[in-house]
Amino acid sequence: MKKIVGISSLAVAVAFGAATLAGVAVAQEKLDIPTVVKISGIQWFNRMEEGVKKYAAESGHNAFQVGPAKADAQLQVQILEDMIAQKVDAITVVPFSPEALEPVLQKARDQGIKVVAHEASSIQNVDYDIEAFKNEDFGAQLMDRLAACMGEEGEYAVFVGSLTSKTHNQWVDGAIARQKEAYPKMTLVGSKNETYDDQQQAYAKAQEVMRAFPNVKGFQGSASTDVAGIGLAIEERGLEAQTCVAGTSLPSIAGQYLETDAVDAIGFWDPADAAIVMNKVAATLIEGGKIEDGANLGVPGYEAIKLDGKVIYGEAYKLVDKTNMKDFPF
Amino acid sequence: MRSLFSRNETLVALIIVAFCVVTAIVEPRFLTITTITDLLRNGIVIGIFAIAAMLVLVSGGIDVSFTAIAAFSMYSATKLMIALGVGDQIIVAFLVAAAIGLTLGLINAVFIGTLKLPTLIVTLGTLTAFRGFLLTFVGSQLITNVPPGMRDFARSMIFRGETPGGSFVAVPTATLFLVGAVVLTWFILNRTVLGRSIVAMGGSRESAARVGINVTAMQYFVYGYVGVLSGLAGIVHASLARVANPFDLVGLELQVIAAVVLGGARLTGGHGTITGTLLGVTLIVLINNSLIMLGIPSTWQNVVIGFLILLGTGMPAWQARRRAAASA
Repeated sequence: MKKIVGISSLAVAVAFGAATLAGVAVAQEKLDIPTVVKISGIQWFNRMEEGVKKYAAESGHNAFQVGPAKADAQLQVQILEDMIAQKVDAITVVPFSPEALEPVLQKARDQGIKVVAHEASSIQNVDYDIEAFKNEDFGAQLMDRLAACMGEEGEYAVFVGSLTSKTHNQWVDGAIARQKEAYPKMTLVGSKNETYDDQQQAYAKAQEVMRAFPNVKGFQGSASTDVAGIGLAIEERGLEAQTCVAGTSLPSIAGQYLETDAVDAIGFWDPADAAIVMNKVAATLIEGGKIEDGANLGVPGYEAIKLDGKVIYGEAYKLVDKTNMKDFPF
Repeated sequence: MRSLFSRNETLVALIIVAFCVVTAIVEPRFLTITTITDLLRNGIVIGIFAIAAMLVLVSGGIDVSFTAIAAFSMYSATKLMIALGVGDQIIVAFLVAAAIGLTLGLINAVFIGTLKLPTLIVTLGTLTAFRGFLLTFVGSQLITNVPPGMRDFARSMIFRGETPGGSFVAVPTATLFLVGAVVLTWFILNRTVLGRSIVAMGGSRESAARVGINVTAMQYFVYGYVGVLSGLAGIVHASLARVANPFDLVGLELQVIAAVVLGGARLTGGHGTITGTLLGVTLIVLINNSLIMLGIPSTWQNVVIGFLILLGTGMPAWQARRRAAASA
């Protein structure tokens, strides 16, 4: 847009006082808004691109998605530098490493480019960060599903990728808090089991939990591969009907276990919706609008957002079981 | 008698027994058939890897790239199987994976045997290079819908039963791959000139060359053989896990080498037995799969594993030094 404005102002200079011309040009102008993702080509970000394209079609702006071939903070910085050089109007970004992007995002903002991030609630150099939900609430939602499946009683175990994965631990802590408050007949067995985001580890740990606690009825997973590993262990034991599994995952990873009832419910958020929200927020900011607490951003799950500093929280949980998994092909 | 007690195998066996006794006292449910089948199932892939890693140590080298070879062969073979529409032919997966594994193993051999570069440096390099090539050029997406042939292979069992509690126990057919790797490697090492030459080369490369052993050819054999075993282990892994994940397996190599060293193979070459390796694997798998039963919290599990490895490898080394001092 800047380039066009430059040409327009040149026209203004030549045409003497044709100020209205530039005004008209701006109003009709298409905004350039790239969405810079962590990595191209994986299902998660392919789905996000669908959202970007949908937004571009609906708004008429030039919204597009770019990302490095592999998840690497340095490659992402290079792409952001390119975007700044192209003088885009706003940048929406899903940072691989928020800390590593701070300098380049500051540079973008210094040049007047609006910046909206996703999945980076700690990031500083942005106008806003979009989070699909508060992690503790999401964990509680998973617990509600698990409890419903377990008949609100019995032993359950929890799995995290690692004790240092902040979001995983927030989900699980939220779930345990929800169980203590609402489901007194359920009991947690063992400590948080670490799976290192490895399906084989989740599988082996689930086997061991079943040996150590033969009455265990419920499992909650956190890494996307956790429920697949747990589901495999349950299927091999033939205990699909007697046990319940709920956790964060995607239909593409856990689908085969949802179909056999080895896994009962999975939760996630839709990256396509998150992309639309990022773009809408960016466009609103360029047009001089404001984002206010409780605002309706016109995307399901983001109808009454909560604003906490620079972070915009939605309530965009998707809880899926075998009846509706086909609606989310990613 | 004395030699029996000073052997690594005996020590590791004693540690295994002691560990089982302690676990059984803490948690009597440890003593069930399910424990045995679970441990066996989780030991197949790491067992095949350990046999391969042991052979390299015996030959006087060290290989850390076998997990990357396995991931590369497994993922490429699965993708090819789907692309060719031969998803129901598990044999294709094994043949292709073995061929890819062989090729990658021979790439190691070119650097090690022909260019005479240090094995650790070469395989550290190829570990990263193979993995990078796989993720960049072959693919980085999980294949959760593995071909039916692999699924059927994972579901076929040598033995199947039911516990009083109503859950299934089973020994998968895939176990035969571990048995096959053990038998074949034992035969090569102990009953062939080739195997004895590998041991001789590991003991002293210079002496082996002087008595007329073609050291370079031996190295090509060792790294090629490791490649084939790794490729097969990769397919076994993906079948059992019912997912071909290109990010899998890499990271296991140090645990495998720890198991082999626990079993008495020396990093200096020339020493290593199949029995010792299997005992080492048993101990590692046992520890990895019993700490929840012992009630050890997640944060402490790695500390315990590290300590047991120190104990298992440190004791024999200390004994050997004491023996040397006594005889001096």
